[in-house]
Amino acid sequence: MDASTTDRWIRRLNLLQLVLAGIIIMTPTVWMVLSSLKPSFEVTAYPPTLVFTPTLSNYVELTKTTPFLSYALNSLIVTIGSTALGLLFGIPAAFAVSWTRISWPAILTLAARMAPGTLFLLPWYVMFRQVGMIGSYTALILSHAVITLPIVIWILLPSFDAIPRSVFEAAQVDGCSVTRILWRIALPLVASGIAVSAILAFVFSWNYFLFALVLSNGDTKTLIAAAFNFIGEGSTQWGALMAAATLIALPPLVLAALVQRWLVSGLTLGAVKG
Amino acid sequence: MSDAAATLTQDRQRLELSALSAPAVIFTVAMIAFPVIYTVWLGFQSFSSTGKQSFVGLANYAKLVSDHEFWNGLWVTIALYVLSLALQLVLGVWLALVLFHAKRLPGIVRSLFISPFMMPPVVAGMMWIVILDPSLGAANYILQFLGLPPSEWLASPTWVIPTFALIDTWQWTPYVALIVLGGLQSLPPSVYEAAQIDGASAFKTFQRITLPLLLPTIVTAAILRSVDLLRFFDIIYITTQGGPGNASNTLNIYGFRVGFEFFNIGYASALMLTLTAIVFGAVLACNRLRGAVAW
Repeated sequence: MDASTTDRWIRRLNLLQLVLAGIIIMTPTVWMVLSSLKPSFEVTAYPPTLVFTPTLSNYVELTKTTPFLSYALNSLIVTIGSTALGLLFGIPAAFAVSWTRISWPAILTLAARMAPGTLFLLPWYVMFRQVGMIGSYTALILSHAVITLPIVIWILLPSFDAIPRSVFEAAQVDGCSVTRILWRIALPLVASGIAVSAILAFVFSWNYFLFALVLSNGDTKTLIAAAFNFIGEGSTQWGALMAAATLIALPPLVLAALVQRWLVSGLTLGAVKG
Repeated sequence: MSDAAATLTQDRQRLELSALSAPAVIFTVAMIAFPVIYTVWLGFQSFSSTGKQSFVGLANYAKLVSDHEFWNGLWVTIALYVLSLALQLVLGVWLALVLFHAKRLPGIVRSLFISPFMMPPVVAGMMWIVILDPSLGAANYILQFLGLPPSEWLASPTWVIPTFALIDTWQWTPYVALIVLGGLQSLPPSVYEAAQIDGASAFKTFQRITLPLLLPTIVTAAILRSVDLLRFFDIIYITTQGGPGNASNTLNIYGFRVGFEFFNIGYASALMLTLTAIVFGAVLACNRLRGAVAW
């Protein structure tokens, strides 16, 4: 066999492995979406069916039998609130860390990425209960900001670092204050970084389960924390369960697809440049 | 500019920079640093069923040592950790090599590859409950179709941990692969060319050149996964809640249940501080390893 034939075979073999990996990665998710579109009697059919007439009846059923839309609204309030708080606190902090090279404030926020959530949840629970804040949006937004803040800081740090120091020095000579440099000069230069950090903060806040499990009540429960309610519908209601799962997964998956190019370096919080 | 004026500007600058990071610092101290210190204090307290608390010294930690559930939790946590990490590192490196050799990778393919780890873990749990159902699930149908015996999956005390390891591997292998792919792409192409000229086989090149050069990246991926795996919570809590029996009662699940189902906040604090120490210990150990394999 000459070299080019070998090359072609290696490429085909590689493509085969790629397709195989793709099938394994995608099948469960595809199965979830398909199940959500099956008529209710067919979802639990055994052997499982692949050909069926798709219907939206599970989605209709879901919104009728559960307060899905009010859970979704709660999720939006908590997610948007905590993302906004993360940006509000994180942008100036990342700028100051990048400028001064004093990194402990940024490292401190990483504790939330390493310690188990229950470590914070136990004292929060005791503290929030004392001031009657269990079940409030404020408690939920504050707790979820612990997730969003390190994401914003660590994604923006390299963006701020990449701005040449001479740009800032020139502005200083012109008499610009540090705060003014941040708002007028640095911010526009890191606009794309801010967009990426906002989207990733949104996704991780949306996906976060543990805090809302304890800190929310019937009125403020987020979609993720309400997942038990959908499972509680019982093993006979797989269609509605899969409809709920599909709808809950949709916002993070769409948003993640938008930023997939920056995803890995963003997710590793500075550990990897990818 | 005179010296005095320069110092004045510098002081002003320092003040402004402190003011910029102040909100984040105050927030972090209030929501992370202070609560952790409070947890340490809670770890020395005992809470009665009526909610009265009293100082008990190290009693919670003494209880830990003699608590059968704690040792079970530690074992389950480590078993799940080692099994999952080994599976996804091996598969992740393989997938990274496959992705690396696929010359063009359309954005849509990348988007599909990231979908498992960007979906909420809770949704992954809901999805796998249906697929792994012992009597009606698609997984057992596939096993039967292949002539293999069906499994009880999450309902089996023996298989529940391997099943969680499989679920986590499905979810996070693409993430490991993308990190390793980044490492592969940053390697200088000259090393491969030199090996090719020397007539080294593809496997030898991988074993002798690519793998050693990739090790720091692989260890980085291992650190990131260790932190998540040792705290594995969402999928277990949504599916088995530590069961069947206590077969998947990891330290994180156990600590949560002690705190918020039995409301023994003091003992839960001791459990969580112990788990936190384990996570930090693992990260430090991996970090030393990364130092040892760096080039």
